[in-house]
Amino acid sequence: MEKRGESVEVRGKTVEEAIAAGLAQLGLRREQVEVEILSQGSRGLLGIGAEDARVRLTPIVEAAPAEPQEPVLSEEYWEGPEEEEVRAEGPKAPALSPKEVERIAREALQGILQRMSIQARIVSKPPTEFMLEGDNPPPVVLDIQGRDLGVLIGRRGETLGALQFLVRLIVNHRTRRWYNVVIDVQGYKERREQQLRRLAERMAEQVVATRRSVVLEAMPPYERRIVHLALRNHPKVTTHSIGEGDNRKVMIHLRQ
Amino acid sequence: MKELVEYIARSLVQEPEQVRVQEKQSGRSVTITLHVASDDIGRVIGKNGRVANAIRTLLKVQASKEGKRVFLEIE
Repeated sequence: MEKRGESVEVRGKTVEEAIAAGLAQLGLRREQVEVEILSQGSRGLLGIGAEDARVRLTPIVEAAPAEPQEPVLSEEYWEGPEEEEVRAEGPKAPALSPKEVERIAREALQGILQRMSIQARIVSKPPTEFMLEGDNPPPVVLDIQGRDLGVLIGRRGETLGALQFLVRLIVNHRTRRWYNVVIDVQGYKERREQQLRRLAERMAEQVVATRRSVVLEAMPPYERRIVHLALRNHPKVTTHSIGEGDNRKVMIHLRQ
Repeated sequence: MKELVEYIARSLVQEPEQVRVQEKQSGRSVTITLHVASDDIGRVIGKNGRVANAIRTLLKVQASKEGKRVFLEIE
């Protein structure tokens, strides 16, 4: 877990200028701080109504060793229980095989669906590249298949998010350990990943062509993570999340 | 709807035998009251109410099928 230092808020004509000013103030390099964009600012019309960009820089006192490539795997994107909620359950149990984890996850999911009077089959699938998390073992992926299952997805995937959260929580409670379980409905997440990847690439091209940043619509955490991952190795653009809570959005801007 | 809350709560607490769920109908509103052992309250509410809210989200699926509004209370 990272420790954080005292953060500073700085202004500048552009986001990049504000970041540079903040880094100078702290005497740190870009990779030693976490950047939160509070306001992108605006140029105004002929300088009238121009507003400064504002950013908050938080020094990372003890950065996680050797993983500068993986900032998008931060716990912000974790939609399961928090580590402390599991740790509170007592001593860690021995690790189970993926088959065993799958059995427990299936049972929990089946238990919930049955009590929601939903008739469906549960099929296990291999994880997609976006479901993998660095060096962690690959998640168990369960796809719910049947007819009229749109209600299980919900607006912006909200219902599916709740279902996955509860299944993970039950699995963690039963096993006294941390396992990543992904729940999907009729391959919805896989399709959404492809859509988001195409969107991210299209928007990145636009940012390069116009030299102007683009802010995508608000997205749930795992969808923002997909956009960040899709553009992680892009030579010309980089991404940040801005805004709070349900209103959090991905901004794509030029690398400097 | 009561069964769903009961199942989830029992799967998350340390003292499942203490879980009690009541369901009350009043017109188109359904109120579900979940009772758990006092040490287990945090487990069914969760940090920032995340667990309780996830249960509410699933309840809404069922309620909207039946054209009802559902409220979950925890005590």
